[in-house]
Amino acid sequence: MLDTHPSDRLAAYLDGELPDIERNRVEAHLGTCARCRHALELVRSGRTALQHLPIASAPDAIWSAIETSADFRTRRPPAVSLVWRLAAAVLVLGIAASVYRIWSTRNVTSWQVMALQGSPVAGSRRLSGGESVPSGKWLETDASSRARIVVGSIGSVTLEPNSRVRLLSTDASGHRLALGAGGIQASISAPPRLFFVETPAGTAIDLGCEYQLHCDRNGTGMLRVTSGWVALEWKGRESLVPAGASCRMYAGRGPGIPWFEDAGDGFLRALGDFETHRGESLDRILAEARTRDTLTLWHLLSRVEAGDRVRVFDRMATLAPLPPGLLRDRVLELDTQSLKKWREELAWTW
Amino acid sequence: MSKFILCLICLGIASAEDLVIQFASPVAAQSYQFKKSAFVFRTLGCPSDVKPEVSATAEGLVDGQRQSVSLKVTAVQASAGNVFAIFREWSNQGVWIVSVKAHCGGKSAGVLVATDAQGIVRESSTVLNHPATEKEIENSLRSGKKPRGPAD
Repeated sequence: MLDTHPSDRLAAYLDGELPDIERNRVEAHLGTCARCRHALELVRSGRTALQHLPIASAPDAIWSAIETSADFRTRRPPAVSLVWRLAAAVLVLGIAASVYRIWSTRNVTSWQVMALQGSPVAGSRRLSGGESVPSGKWLETDASSRARIVVGSIGSVTLEPNSRVRLLSTDASGHRLALGAGGIQASISAPPRLFFVETPAGTAIDLGCEYQLHCDRNGTGMLRVTSGWVALEWKGRESLVPAGASCRMYAGRGPGIPWFEDAGDGFLRALGDFETHRGESLDRILAEARTRDTLTLWHLLSRVEAGDRVRVFDRMATLAPLPPGLLRDRVLELDTQSLKKWREELAWTW
Repeated sequence: MSKFILCLICLGIASAEDLVIQFASPVAAQSYQFKKSAFVFRTLGCPSDVKPEVSATAEGLVDGQRQSVSLKVTAVQASAGNVFAIFREWSNQGVWIVSVKAHCGGKSAGVLVATDAQGIVRESSTVLNHPATEKEIENSLRSGKKPRGPAD
């Protein structure tokens, strides 16, 4: 990880000119530094603007105005001098037009959306093929339509049939959607925390992943991760869901407790009971847990009372001993760094 | 007395940390760049000032014929320790297993990692305290568990 901001290397990074090790370091830094991600977007925007500088022809009236204001004589200047003056005027007009265009559109963002099947609706407009849709619009599909949303330069989202999603902001600090109902499939390849999907039951935060997210009109949802990690957050409650795992989301309560999809039926029943009834279901969860189910147990640590936490810890330690350097008391105190380190080590056993 | 001293020496040697290869699904790398890898592995027991030498080959049995594919081993820079990633570079046909070898400070280790469409298959994988022999690879290919069904 880089200790300083790589401002002097962003242009080379964009152009793919950095050696592999340097590129990886820059990417790792971008994953944790919003300031540098913003700087990267400015470099990218500037480069794009330069590439699209228009060439405008100056109208004849321009010359008259220049001549008048400069108090020139009426007779025409020599041909060579006239060409250079016209060129200067064209350059000034072109730069002015570009600056005006950038300034006037700086607060308006749009998403590239493509109809994959049928005719999805963006706002009140039916889509056919690919179009640019302004932020703030709802994109909806019916039973016979699907759509693809391009997420900047980092990936795409497929909107499934009978679904609606609102296209929120898309800028240097990240790209945001709001899933109203139905489902999406997201495929993102980028440093963590650049793509967010809001639901009534919490926000799905991409950590470099592919996943499916469903949400009904009551706000209850289900996340299924097929690659990488996804974080689900709601009012300080967080669930970290890796590939091969799923997690429910509850309106008004936030993310549930993740589980691996190959967990035993008894374990899953007990977990379901825990999320609705609690009580003796914890005993069954602990009894049925495999080593791989320490994903679920790790999340349970912060979701149970202190007395039950000791039982969860003890069962986890039986399945996957605490790594060297980590202290039992610190984990039971829910020390953030200790929990993070244990989770990272547990991932080597999943 | 000399036997006692010899035992102490042997005990000292045996208690020195062995070199071990630990493998896991790509999520263990904690890096989005390797989410599409087949699996990741790390070496444990290597002195901190020594870089392990690692290599990997995909060993397969396709239509009864043995095949071997040398694999690129990519270091995971964002992870602490000696963590490496293997991307799938072998055929979908037949039965395959990945043989990973590590050497460090005079010690060696190996692992035979089985994978299927859903990722690593721990039950069919083997951790060794030496690089896998051809016989061990053959046994693993011919006696490996039936792969799991396709993902939903």
